[in-house]
Order: sequence, then C-alpha cells, then structure tokens
Amino acid sequence: MPDTTSTLYRFTFFAMAAENEVQVHSQDPALAERAANAAIAEVKRIEAKYSRYLDDSVVSRINAQAGGAPVKVDDETLALLAFADACHRQSEGLFDATSGVLRRAWNFKEPRVPAQAELDAILPLVGWEKVEISNAHVRHARPGMQLDFGGFGKEYAVDRAALVMSDQGVESALVNLAGDLAILGSQPGAAPWRVGIKHPRRDDKLLATLPVDSGAIATSGDYERFIEVDGVRHCHILDPRTGRSARGLQAVTVQATACTMAGSITTIAMLKGREGLAWLDEMGAKYLAVADDGTVIDRF
Amino acid sequence: MAATKGESSALAQLAQAALALPILALPVKAGAAEVGEIGFTLLGYKERGLMTIVEPVLWGRAQFMESWEVQASAAVDIISGASPQLVSNASGKPVQTITGASIEDHRGTGDVKLTKRFGEFSLAGSLAYSKEEDYESRAFGVEGRLDLNQRNTTLIAGYGQSKDRVGSSDDPTLDEPRDTKEYMLGVTQVISPTALVSSTVVWTRGEGYYNDPYKLTFTFFPSGPPLLVPDVRPDHRHTTAWLTRFRNHVPSLNGTLQADYRYYSDDWGIRAHTLEVGWQQSIDDRWSIRPALRYYTQDAADFYSPTVTRPPAAVHSSDQRLSAFGGLSPSLRVILRSNDRLTFEGTLGYVHNAANLHLGGSGNDAFATLRAYYGLLGVTYSF
Repeated sequence: MPDTTSTLYRFTFFAMAAENEVQVHSQDPALAERAANAAIAEVKRIEAKYSRYLDDSVVSRINAQAGGAPVKVDDETLALLAFADACHRQSEGLFDATSGVLRRAWNFKEPRVPAQAELDAILPLVGWEKVEISNAHVRHARPGMQLDFGGFGKEYAVDRAALVMSDQGVESALVNLAGDLAILGSQPGAAPWRVGIKHPRRDDKLLATLPVDSGAIATSGDYERFIEVDGVRHCHILDPRTGRSARGLQAVTVQATACTMAGSITTIAMLKGREGLAWLDEMGAKYLAVADDGTVIDRF
Repeated sequence: MAATKGESSALAQLAQAALALPILALPVKAGAAEVGEIGFTLLGYKERGLMTIVEPVLWGRAQFMESWEVQASAAVDIISGASPQLVSNASGKPVQTITGASIEDHRGTGDVKLTKRFGEFSLAGSLAYSKEEDYESRAFGVEGRLDLNQRNTTLIAGYGQSKDRVGSSDDPTLDEPRDTKEYMLGVTQVISPTALVSSTVVWTRGEGYYNDPYKLTFTFFPSGPPLLVPDVRPDHRHTTAWLTRFRNHVPSLNGTLQADYRYYSDDWGIRAHTLEVGWQQSIDDRWSIRPALRYYTQDAADFYSPTVTRPPAAVHSSDQRLSAFGGLSPSLRVILRSNDRLTFEGTLGYVHNAANLHLGGSGNDAFATLRAYYGLLGVTYSF
C-alpha cells in the first residue's frame, strides 16, 4: 500500500472516440508518467487491433473475408472470442458479437425507425453460430457478416491498461475509459475511490457516487447513442433476434472483478430489459440500475 | 434454455472465460491486494504393517511495508510404529524383518523466510531448524528472483547450507556431523494466457555421516559363520535433481492440466524418475477436484545389496529405500472455497511401491512391497 506521501497524477487522453483518464498514486512522478504512457499505449494498441472502424484491424480483416477464406488469429484474439462465446451462452443468445451489422439499418444521426423489411434483409447476417472458429482461424459463414467487439472491447482495454500499470510497479491507480473503469489497489490510507455515475436523463446530474475499493465498474445505458421518435427512445443496444432496440432499462452499472466481465454483464442486462434485474439478482451481482420509468434499483 | 445450476454459475462461467484473458482479475479474490494468509494442515500417513506419521503444520505468509514479505511455518511429526531394521537371508532369501520394539518419536521443525522486493528483482533469506531425539538440523538459504518480459519470465537462483548432527537412540555415544551445500537455478515461463512451464535444477554436495545407525544386514553363507554387518554408506553424497512443471488451463472444460516430471541422480548410483499428472476440475465457483496419478521409478545405489559378501565391502547397505523399485500413487484432492477468504482442502492418496513396478522390470527381488495410505486436511484463511 503506498504511503501518504504519494501524489495523485492525472493523465487524460483521447481514444476510442472519447475522453479518457488514468489516475496514478505515486511518490515518483517519472514512474507515474511511464506507467500512464504504457497504459495509454496499450489502450491504443487494442483500439488499433480490434476497432471495426480501422481497415487494418484484426476485426476488419476478418469482416473483409466474410464468406471467404478463414483468417488466422493470435491467442489474444482467440481468448476474446472464447469470452464472447461464453457471454453468448450465458445470455441465452442475447449477447451476440455479430449484431453490429444491424447498424446499417439504424442511423443514430437521424430520427428514423427502419422498416421491418430493412431489418429482415440484415437479420440473416446476424448469428454467433455462423462464426466459424477452428484451429486458430476465424471465418464468417456468409458475406456481409460483421464481427464487433463493441460490447466488451473498451472494457478489455481498461483491464489491460490496469495490468500494464501493475507490471510497471504501480500499486494504486485507476483507469477510466469514458465511464468504464478499473481500479488497481486502494488509495493511500485505504480510502475507497469515489466513482460518479452519470444520470441517464440529466446531463448535468450524477445519479450516484459509489465508493469502490477494488475491482472494476462498467455502465451500459440507452443514453450513449440513441434517437427518439414519437416519444419512444431507440438506443444502440440492439437485440440480435429482432434487430430492434433493447427496452426496459435506462442504464445499468455493475461492479465486478474485471471490467471485461462488468461490461458484458451490463450489456446482457440491458438486452434482457426488466428481466435483466432478476438475472442480476440471481447472479448476486453488485449493481445500480435505472428502469425505463425512472425507478432506481440500488444493489450496490 | 434456462441455466439449471443456479444463476451463480452464470457469473462463474463468465469469470472462467475472463480468466483466460491476459488481465489481472481473479474470479475468487477481488482486486484488492491480499495482505497475507495463514493456514493449518493435518497430514496423516500410514504404511501397512509399519509406520504411522501424523503431522500437524501451521504456516503463514504476510506482506508488510509495501515491499517485504515474511513466511513461516512450524510442524510436529509424530512418528510411531515399526521400522525395518534387519535384512536377513536366514530363510534362504533376504527379507526385511522388524526387530526391537516399535518406536514413538516426535520431530519438531520450524522455518522462516524473509523476502524484499526491488521492482523486478527480489531477494530472500531463510532459516530452518529441525530436531528429533536422534537428529538435529540447522539450515540457511538465500534466493534471488528476477522478473522479465512483463512478468512472463522469472529466473531464480539460490544457495543454501545445512548443518546436521546425527545420533542414535540405541547408541548415546553417536554424534556425527553432516554438512550439505545446495545450489539452485530455475526459470518459469508463461507460454500463453492459459499455460506456463517452470523448470528448476538443484545440485547438492554433502559431506559427513550418512550411515543409518539402526540398520543391519545378517547374511548366512553355504559354509562358515554368518555375518552381521552394520549399514555403512559413503561419507559424501552429490545429487542432482531436475524438476519441470507444466500447467495448462483449458477454459472450455473449466479445468487445468498439471504435469510434473522430476529426474534425480546422485553419486551413489541412484537414478530416479517421477512423473505426476493431475487434472484440476472446477465444478462450480466454489468446488474443485483434482485427481492425480504419480509414477516413480528408481535404480539401486551402487553399494546396495540385500546380502553381504565375505569379506564384506567397505561400503554397504541393505536399506530397501536404496534399491531398485517403482511405485504408483493415485490421489484425489477436493478443494472448497467457502468464501473470499476461506479455503478448505482434503486429499486422499495411496502409495504402492514394488519391485515389479520398476521401469524395465528389473527391480530388486528383496524389495518388500510397500503399501501406504495418506490423507490431508487443510484450511487457509486470507486477510
């Protein structure tokens, strides 16, 4: 545990289309800077490797070969795909890393709900069971299919950034990628870190400030990317079975031992809607949720 | 498709999958750094017809002042029963016989190790002490560890020295020294997020008294008087032991393969191989089981023989622990993590050593098959 003569250093940076932050407690400013730079480099490495917006990322290369030749992938990618597979099974198919292709029908920049025919044209391209993984190679069974690590890629980057800082010898730090964060060690004096949770409807208000002494926090909400048509909100979390927006919850925040886990749990809970609360309760998860009618459920 | 084992297994399944990722989180302990642990173990060992050993052990480990760690343990061995003392061929073939009353002996041991971490390098010093009625040992050691490649590679080097005094409860005048120096080099390498291998070589150089003061060989000859010869071993022993361990976690099966191979050789002529394979299977987020099987084979020491010659060789022993034999030992361990801080474990095992299990088949006929059971119960508390 660092002693109380250490200083809190904050480093902000832009990655994954958002403002992000690394906080490090250290007695040595050079160590804090080295560790933060290593963490930031690791976040950018993962963004470069797995972003579907970058043409030469692993995900884009796999998507480019959809319906064609299998693409060889490394152990890190295989482990992430195995994790996506576990999420798919534990969510009874709701969590589906191929559902990103539905964004061709939903343009969250204009308030228009796609017609059923548009969704029907794309739904055949959605389906985790259509991703073939064997012998360290990945292939989409059909042309046009898209793999998207959006449901856990940022959270994985949070965990990797925390690990990289731990390797540098840092014992007290926090990595925050636009609200998904992980904590390394406790603050000096064993005080918990205080994490502010955004209010899903009021930009200027915090829903809650949670004391977190360990582990990781992730949040999913219908306010991150959405359109409102005829008073109904449609958000970027899309149900792979229907192609339509998840419904029932405004936001879920979960604490888990790893951000990757917390992120997948919040995504699955949002997709399950109201039933997601029962799912979280049975799992014994620590969570804070806001239902669609504004009711706050605090199980933190 | 509803989960049938209860939704807590959903958390466990996700946690297991997360375990395969190269990230910090461990599914059982939360991210807060643990400060230490203490544990108590009770070991029982019973040979059929021969010895029984009961050993309670108390141990602990704690980190303090950011870069220090101390480990300590204390144990008492309570040994009772009979030990083979005489190998006699009076019946025509050499057999082990037990003479004298059965023994009851207590052995106390204690050790402490202090480690200081300097970034990627850490240095440790240790002291150990052991005492029983006819034997006393004092040892110290130093060990250095270096982490490389973002802790994917760890190198270890160590040196130790032990000073022993050997006596005999039958002969109060016996008080002989035995000194051993030990050198160790090792490497641990993380191969993938789910696999690692480690390999360590230990060389020892010992000088002093190695005879077993309780063992005798009684040999009858076709003509002339029989000879009763005490156990006389060389006054030095140089050994090499090379242990390689492999661990591979298989996320889709929720299990881990554990394989250990050890090669041993010394200048007494003994060569031994041990291979143990175990599979640790997680049943849910609290229970795991580990079945395992160990195979052991050993070649005899140069000076081992169940009979003596006339005149007897200067160095000779009929102790069957120096003969050629092999052994199979199956075991089953059950582990229960009852909450974030408490872990219970129980192990049951069986040891079967026999001449016909020797690799190549040519074990010593005089080897009396050893059958032994052992059990272990342990509890660990983390804080």
